Amino acid sequence: MTAALRRATLVVALPAALLTAWWFASAGSTDFYRPPLSRILAAFGETWFGPRLVDDVLPSLARLGLGYAMALVIGVTLGVATGLSPRLRATLEPVLEFLRAVPPPVLVPILILVAGIGNTMKVLVIVSGCVWPVLLNTVEGVRNVDGVLADTCRSYRIRGQARLRHLVLRSASPQIVTGARQALSIGIILMVISEMFAASSGLGFTIVQFQRGFAIPEMWSGVLLLGLLGVALSVVFRVVEHRVLGWYHGIRAVQRQ
Amino acid sequence: MLSVRGLRKVYDGHGRRVEAVGDLTFEVADGAFVCVVGPSGCGKTTLLRCIAGLLPPTSGSVQVCGTPVTGPPDGLAVVFQEYGRSLFPWLRVQENVELPLRAARMPRARRRPLVAEALAAVGLSDAASAYPWQLSGGMQQRVAIARAIAYQPRVLLMDEPFAAVDAQTRADLEDLIRSVWQRLGVTLLFVTHDIDEAVYLGQRVIMLSAAPTRVAEELAVDLPDARDQLTTRGDPRFTELRGQVYAQIQKAKGAAG
Repeated sequence: MTAALRRATLVVALPAALLTAWWFASAGSTDFYRPPLSRILAAFGETWFGPRLVDDVLPSLARLGLGYAMALVIGVTLGVATGLSPRLRATLEPVLEFLRAVPPPVLVPILILVAGIGNTMKVLVIVSGCVWPVLLNTVEGVRNVDGVLADTCRSYRIRGQARLRHLVLRSASPQIVTGARQALSIGIILMVISEMFAASSGLGFTIVQFQRGFAIPEMWSGVLLLGLLGVALSVVFRVVEHRVLGWYHGIRAVQRQ
Repeated sequence: MLSVRGLRKVYDGHGRRVEAVGDLTFEVADGAFVCVVGPSGCGKTTLLRCIAGLLPPTSGSVQVCGTPVTGPPDGLAVVFQEYGRSLFPWLRVQENVELPLRAARMPRARRRPLVAEALAAVGLSDAASAYPWQLSGGMQQRVAIARAIAYQPRVLLMDEPFAAVDAQTRADLEDLIRSVWQRLGVTLLFVTHDIDEAVYLGQRVIMLSAAPTRVAEELAVDLPDARDQLTTRGDPRFTELRGQVYAQIQKAKGAAG
């Protein structure tokens, strides 16, 4: 119990110290662009726990969720196919390298032309950025399937779907998760960026609106909210990872002994 | 019956031709326990992989139960030396044993008792819900043996299965495999570099020459069927047979050098 308490203290200590420092450093501030933290926090509640939660925060999260899920499905499917077939890999690799090198934000103007300024465009921007780490890590993971385990599957005639499910996807899962983690942080960035162009709702849109309307404490509170969302999503990610990769962390713990 | 006729395997690659197996011909009768020994690097594993259908021979043929081997044959199981890499680390012990049966679409009601029996036969009923990496090396190899037992093969191949476990565990596993063989009536081909092990386990010992491998000599082990680590190994006949095998292997090594 005390160990858990000590860990909790460690987790909370630095954020608490930083907030306290910010609070006192900004307490007497009269600078219009750098309001006291007390005012930002007051604005936080008013700004986000009202209609904006439904009008801006949830749509943003829904687009992120959809885009991220699509990127995972496309990345893993394409990654497994590419990892299993050397010919497909040789064909796709140059194109993939090119596409991966294109920064997703520059796709926004193009995607506006193709998909309009609605949700489709924003989801596509998120997909176009998130898919690469998932895809490339899946390819690597699939290629590194252990030879003895592959022979075991062959000699026990574990083929087709069973092989895919029990051998290929599971052996690649540590790397798929690594890709998914990178994709999540890219997704959050792209969620905001996609809403800064030609949007009428969303977190990115609202924060830019506040800045243009000189609603400075509200603008700061939006940045705080984004940070908190990032933390919350990474906690959720860790819980899921713990379930999916329990065996993997178990092996690593055994090997460290 | 298992029959190997004129088997030859040449590895060709990177400008180097290696004739691993020269010309191998031998037969193993139904229900026999045959050990294959040879100096290290004599292509024992290559031979075993050819029989298992994991490696196509350069020329010659292998027949398992009257059917020519072109891929992993039906009713044949392999126990690999690398127990740590031949078990699925993301599956529990019971699931590992069960997977080949699931892949063969055996109904749950039929496979459950087979799995339970196989685990009981190797003395691992208590470890059914553990992960392989939570077990010692010897126990992991028992899981691999249980998986082979549950599969109900007609032919069982073992590739130096006890090479990586300590001496005491090894003695236990040797007795285990003798009792499994006697109970199941399976045809067993056991590859090893350990002369004592070959004589202790087999009804017949096939001695291989150095690469390019041929059959140097065959020896019938005329020890009583009930074997025991103390009395069998103390038997003057055991010492005699062991001496014969040893002399033959030395000769094979000498001819190679």
